[in-house]
Amino acid sequence: MIKQLIILFYFLTGVLTPSISIALVIGSDQEEIYIDANFSGEELLVFGAFYSDPSQSRDSKSDILIEVVGPPEDVVLRKKDSYFGFWLNSKSVTFRDVPGFYYLSSTSELTDEFLRNNQIGLLERNKSEMIDWSLLTTDWGSIINEKEKEEFYNALIRTKQNDSLYKQVSDEIEIIDGNLFRSYIDIPNTVPVGEYTVNLHLIIDNEVSQEYSYNFMVTRVGIEEAIYSFSKNYPFFYGLISLIIAIIIGWSGAEIFKRFRRI
Amino acid sequence: MSIYLPIAELSVNIFLLLSLGGVVGFLSGMFGLGGGFLMTPLLIFIGIPTNVAVATSANQIVASSISGTLGHWRQGLVDFKMGGVLLIGAFFGSILGVWIFSRLVAIGQIDTVISILYFALLTGIGLSMLIESSKVIRDRIRRKSVKRKIHYHNWAHRLPFKVRFYKSKLYISVIPPIIIGFVIGILSATMGIGGAFILIPAMIYFLGMPTSKVIGTSLFQIIFITALVTILHATTTFAVDAVLAFFLILSSVVGAQVGVLAANKLRGEEIRALLAIIVLGVATKIALDLLVEPNEIFNLSVIRLVF
Repeated sequence: MIKQLIILFYFLTGVLTPSISIALVIGSDQEEIYIDANFSGEELLVFGAFYSDPSQSRDSKSDILIEVVGPPEDVVLRKKDSYFGFWLNSKSVTFRDVPGFYYLSSTSELTDEFLRNNQIGLLERNKSEMIDWSLLTTDWGSIINEKEKEEFYNALIRTKQNDSLYKQVSDEIEIIDGNLFRSYIDIPNTVPVGEYTVNLHLIIDNEVSQEYSYNFMVTRVGIEEAIYSFSKNYPFFYGLISLIIAIIIGWSGAEIFKRFRRI
Repeated sequence: MSIYLPIAELSVNIFLLLSLGGVVGFLSGMFGLGGGFLMTPLLIFIGIPTNVAVATSANQIVASSISGTLGHWRQGLVDFKMGGVLLIGAFFGSILGVWIFSRLVAIGQIDTVISILYFALLTGIGLSMLIESSKVIRDRIRRKSVKRKIHYHNWAHRLPFKVRFYKSKLYISVIPPIIIGFVIGILSATMGIGGAFILIPAMIYFLGMPTSKVIGTSLFQIIFITALVTILHATTTFAVDAVLAFFLILSSVVGAQVGVLAANKLRGEEIRALLAIIVLGVATKIALDLLVEPNEIFNLSVIRLVF
């Protein structure tokens, strides 16, 4: 009873006196993730505070939600079928502008209803009754059956999850001193390059109270970038240089070892 | 320690790559093979995308076949004229092969076709090696020596466009070598192999080439087929990974030289039987992947924008 009163108090003061209202203050350790020769994935740190005034502390009804959305890409999803005992690719569906990476994390389990109402959560969308197909531009090919479409949609999310590219968790945000939060987000080594958006939501009583977004880039740098863009822009010379390297190493390897054998 | 591969777009352990290249190089040096038939499936097993595995293997074989050719060339065991005629066929074969390859990538059947081709190739290689080596072992136990015919006369000698190949002491039509080259070109482009395993018996039995000249000549023309395949893949499928190739080449060249040294010290048949078993093991793994119902019947691939 007392607790409820306190929440009510917070709620009222928040509405009536904006000067002490609940705020979301956040930070991140980097604005860019570089893919270089040593890149083997990275941990992105997102941190912040529930309130701007550190003397206040988080109440039990407020939650933090962190969403990381990767750059859009087009993907082909193929289904294997058994033909004479062999498992071969058969039907395929092309999904356009699917996030290359998607991460959703919250301080407590979020209901499907909440996610649906706030249009958050790619992973939850498929659980809802109203699948919003319009959000994905999809080339269904020969598939017309709604049930089969849903099967493909679920498989899209499942295969992305298996590659650690889609994830939804509710236990990765650390709360410190009741007021500060911190989360390490795993960026696997297979992530696509491009612009990523981090969306933070402060949720109070199942309502989004504050939102904050910022972007970061995943870019290839150094020799990785040089090789990649050279292979795309000058494929013939790229092939030629690959050959020359092979010739030089092949030739000199034989020469060096010939000398070894003489000794 | 891992290294990020810019074309495959993933990172792999550098020691895994070096040991893979080293082992395949060792086996190829020991048995005088290109090793592509093991390199490509092993790359796929460690998670490299099929198209990158095939294209990069071709690049790696260029290096290993150059190393091998030099030795044979110094001893005058390369028939350049025959190599040239084979290459005419191989040129057109590899262009067709890369075209078939990119069509298969587009319709999403490349993995299946590569698996079936590799299963057939490895089973053939493995069984013939096993039979051959066990025969040699048996003959050795019985202290029998095997006599071989030096020269074969068959239909290849009766076709038109006959040319004299002085080095191989042959006077045959150019049609069979061109056809053989054409087939090897297709296989090289689609499978990322040099094709010595098919080429060498074909040269001995169909063309009747002397055995001493066969290995050097096949290595010589494999350099050019795989060089062409590398360029064709780099420009059409964009799947040659220079970083992956670099580490594979480096380790396989060293491995091959160690393999050559080891071959002089070890008895061939037992090791050949062992290799046959390894090859059959890889073939079995490929077959199981095709026949056993996969855990995940869906697979996802990103459409890369080519610009």
